[in-house]
Amino acid sequence: MNAKTLTSRRNLFLLGGVLLAALIPLALGKNQYAMVLVTTVLLYAVLATAWNIIGGMAGQLDLAAAAYLGLGAFTTGTLLMRWNITPWLGMIVGGITAAGLAFLIGFPLFGFKIKELWYALSSSALVEVMRVLFLMWDQVGGPTEQYLPAGLSAWYSLRFNNYVPYYYIMLVILIAVLILTTRIRYSKLGYSLLALGEDEDAVEVLGVNSQAAKLKALMIYAFISGVVGGVYACLYGYLHPSFFSTSMSMEVAILGIVGGMGITYGPALAAIVMVSFREFLRANLGGGMEGLYLVVYAVILIVVALYQPRGIAPLLERGIKYIKTYFGELRHGRPADAESR
Amino acid sequence: MDAQPMLKVDNLTKKFNDLVAVSDVTFEVRPGEIVGLIGPNGAGKTTLFNAITGLYKPEAGRVTYKGVNITGLLPHKICKLGMSRTFQVTRAFAHMTVEDTVRVGAYNRCGEKNVQAKVDQVLGLVEMEDIRGRVCSDLGLASLRKVELARALATEPDMLLLDEAGAGLNATELGAFMALIQKLNRDYHITFCVVEHVMQMVMGLCHRIVVLESGEVIATGTPNEISANQRVIEAYLGKRAVRC
Amino acid sequence: MIETATQGVISGVMMGAIYALIALGLSIVFGVMNVTNFAHGEFVMLSMYLSYVVGTALAWDAVVTPVITVPLLFFFGIITYHLLLHRTLRQMYVVQLAVTVGLQILMRSAALIVWNAQPRALQYSFIQGNFEIGGFTILTSRLVAAVVSLLFIGGIAYFLNKTWAGKAMRAASDDFDAASLMGVNYKRTYALTFGIGSALTAVAGGLLMSFQQTDPVGGIRFGLLSWCVLALAGLGSIPGLVVAGIIVGVAEALTVSFFDPRSRLLAVYAIFILVLWLRPRGLFGRR
Repeated sequence: MNAKTLTSRRNLFLLGGVLLAALIPLALGKNQYAMVLVTTVLLYAVLATAWNIIGGMAGQLDLAAAAYLGLGAFTTGTLLMRWNITPWLGMIVGGITAAGLAFLIGFPLFGFKIKELWYALSSSALVEVMRVLFLMWDQVGGPTEQYLPAGLSAWYSLRFNNYVPYYYIMLVILIAVLILTTRIRYSKLGYSLLALGEDEDAVEVLGVNSQAAKLKALMIYAFISGVVGGVYACLYGYLHPSFFSTSMSMEVAILGIVGGMGITYGPALAAIVMVSFREFLRANLGGGMEGLYLVVYAVILIVVALYQPRGIAPLLERGIKYIKTYFGELRHGRPADAESR
Repeated sequence: MDAQPMLKVDNLTKKFNDLVAVSDVTFEVRPGEIVGLIGPNGAGKTTLFNAITGLYKPEAGRVTYKGVNITGLLPHKICKLGMSRTFQVTRAFAHMTVEDTVRVGAYNRCGEKNVQAKVDQVLGLVEMEDIRGRVCSDLGLASLRKVELARALATEPDMLLLDEAGAGLNATELGAFMALIQKLNRDYHITFCVVEHVMQMVMGLCHRIVVLESGEVIATGTPNEISANQRVIEAYLGKRAVRC
Repeated sequence: MIETATQGVISGVMMGAIYALIALGLSIVFGVMNVTNFAHGEFVMLSMYLSYVVGTALAWDAVVTPVITVPLLFFFGIITYHLLLHRTLRQMYVVQLAVTVGLQILMRSAALIVWNAQPRALQYSFIQGNFEIGGFTILTSRLVAAVVSLLFIGGIAYFLNKTWAGKAMRAASDDFDAASLMGVNYKRTYALTFGIGSALTAVAGGLLMSFQQTDPVGGIRFGLLSWCVLALAGLGSIPGLVVAGIIVGVAEALTVSFFDPRSRLLAVYAIFILVLWLRPRGLFGRR
């Protein structure tokens, strides 16, 4: 499979999906709760698809999505509050800041021959570290919630009174990220990362700087998460250290793993299914049982990791292939029959 | 042939805690040569290779490639200078296709524009065009060895280190492999250093041979000289064999 | 200022011994078995909760609870091994990571559901109290905990180095094919090893509950601590573990004394990153 075969049928399918997604707010726009749900789905879809770059392609188990998202959020929000800089610009700065953090953490931990374990461990602690850091950092608010100003115009400060504009912004970002991921996949970086995941020593002797490749992947993912963080801040309308949520980071990683590491649309699909399921649980169980969705997530992760480490997407592809051959036989008869005529 | 050696190893020592795997090894490979590195099992040949190509950091000694000190450099930097290698236990990119595997190597020198042409050229050279779309985990040993060679070739090396590339091949496969290496050596001016156990390959291919035992060089010379060398026979077959 | 520092060092040394005990459980599993248990911190958290449950149900002192929690954690470890980990041994490394990450999330979320976010503590232990030496206060609970930790560490070291079972465990880790040829049932040995590693956390848990409280997210902190101590110590040296534990404990204590108490996690994290960057094989590491 190379870039050329990808354009034809699959892209048509995706285009259809995109159009469908674009039409959803027209149907659901009035229902605030439904809009929250689909926007959240899109949010996780973007994060999980971006996660794929570091998780699926580079083979690193990153558990720090919220660290980058939170940093992007705080950057964007603070720029707006202090210097009235529009979040459209702020989110880019947020992305860059997040990428900077990623560089600081990744540089020491992606050295040649350092096991993936250490980055995974570090990332799992990073979110909590950021949370504590921002709790203590009174200049940017500390433990109190800081509300973002409504400002000049809704479009300038990205503060809308309903979810529909946020939905479309997220949708555009998702499409952009999907395209970006595909582009990366078939570029030098993509091939290098894929090979790196197979055998780091072998790939190094072929001239690939494994540390640089991993860092690039990490920084791209962090940048995207930071940008999303900017939108996130505007969506919620405030800043708070609780944005640095360990459970959100775990969720993103689970979506990436379950969705199929390395397959572009897999995590987005997983997001649709699992986030909807999560919201369903949350709506119907309430109280202390909210945490149950994480238990279910964890079980799914364990089961998938043990029995189908490549995630759900390959199963889907096999299923699609099976259906195609089945319908092909219906139409043309079985190959043996055709020949005997 | 030039006077300056392509690869020069001086007093290389590699230890693992207290175990000395490679001890004070000195040898060189001149441009255009095929040098064989032989020795009984456990002699330290693969360790030596790993120390030369940057996978291990030697405790002492110096590796010079084309006049540049590459001791302890990271493998990818060494590859950029023109040296690549294959592995003893094939380390194929199991889930990638033959073509994609070669492509990874091709990106060493080629940009996005000419990478496909390079891939096609290399696949043609090793005669693997017909299986370019096969996934590496589906391949047999002989093909896997060729893939390893192909991807290293794609990096446009001046020198290739082959680690037991002939092991496990049957007579036909071996003959074809040897012919390929000779072609690469003569027509494409690639210098080789090969670790080998298969004597047919060593005697048939190599211009010179370096013999390693217990981490030390015990002899160097032409194939004829080595096959008559007492010390070498002793190392392989034990002291009593020498008396025969 | 020097007094604050010395006080911090004293308390840090004692905590360090406990951290070393926690890290020991991890060292056995990771160093000896080469199994990565991402959820190790959660095992500690679980031990502490179990100590709480036993302590409240039976009105036992925290220090005594390990009598029940140690066997409990031991079996929990064995079951976890058989159910989850055994299958991951022959697969890609990422699988083991993913499975233990899943376990970590599972344990943390389950704890949140069962006990909710309110921290739990036991009634005052009999080792509570303090005494003075040379103008410095020593908390008895910490001291007892440190001493007991060191005793256990010494005991495990003896076990690993001098007994047949212990040597079998180490042999099984180096080369399980060879070891099984020599009569060592590696599956059983591994399960046993993991059980022991888990059981050790129960000892630490009981000791900790005598002067601390527990909450569901404590696992993150203990996880980071164990891995940090392990990374600092390197693999293969048990005394090294004690030294590393003390270094981390002291660093943490000093940070709390001179900076914000909330920043203790940051200190540990900083050490962690620094060690991995500057000396990945640890101070006393063999490999």
